[in-house]
Amino acid sequence: MLVLTRKVGESIRIGNDVTVQVLAIRGGQVRIGLTAPSDVRIFREEIFRAVEGQNQEARLADEDRLSGAAELWEEVGNGKRG
Amino acid sequence: MASVAEQTEVRSAAGSPTLRVVSRRFGTLDVPVASVLHFAQGLVGFPRYRRYVVLDHRPGSPFKWMLSIDDPDLAFAVANPCELVADYDPPLPLATRLLGTAAEDLALFVLVTIPPDPTRMTVNLMAPVVVDLRTRQARQIVLDDPRCPPDHRVVREPAAAQP
Repeated sequence: MLVLTRKVGESIRIGNDVTVQVLAIRGGQVRIGLTAPSDVRIFREEIFRAVEGQNQEARLADEDRLSGAAELWEEVGNGKRG
Repeated sequence: MASVAEQTEVRSAAGSPTLRVVSRRFGTLDVPVASVLHFAQGLVGFPRYRRYVVLDHRPGSPFKWMLSIDDPDLAFAVANPCELVADYDPPLPLATRLLGTAAEDLALFVLVTIPPDPTRMTVNLMAPVVVDLRTRQARQIVLDDPRCPPDHRVVREPAAAQP
């Protein structure tokens, strides 16, 4: 991991078009400003982890489980959908 | 496109190129090359698997399988959220912007998580898969929106079971 020390107001550039700026430091929190091209998605790490964890869960479905889900869906139909 | 595993490309009787995919779960499939979905970034957590094919499950079922061509033991249950979730609002502006495509050329589906008790199945509204139907380029887009949880319950709990 690359480690850099920055003061409030200073920035880091990643590649040609991503900028990370330290805006404020207060107590144990750092406020960060990010600029990046619009097709670069920026998230808190927890969001990404949630999706990754859900994808890992989703891959566990097998034919039996999907058949069970399909039969259940046929029974409950559209009336009960959440 | 570079890929993890290269399958044999064969020509079907009709003459269109197909990829032969041998899967323990799905048997031997000849997948039309034109139907392969290409994920430049893979799915979140699965960056190395970039080519998938969507297979029907059974007649009348809203569910499908999305099978990895690069690892035919990797498959996800998927569904059209508009069929499973009342008042689903697809993130079309973001999807069209990220894929660089028009809304009418876009397909969208979600991954389904099915635990042993299917009444507890959920859909991942936080990270739908969007496909440009013209180019077959696909992407799992992540939404940071409280209305789009990663584990939205599909079947409502019976009223009596609710606290």
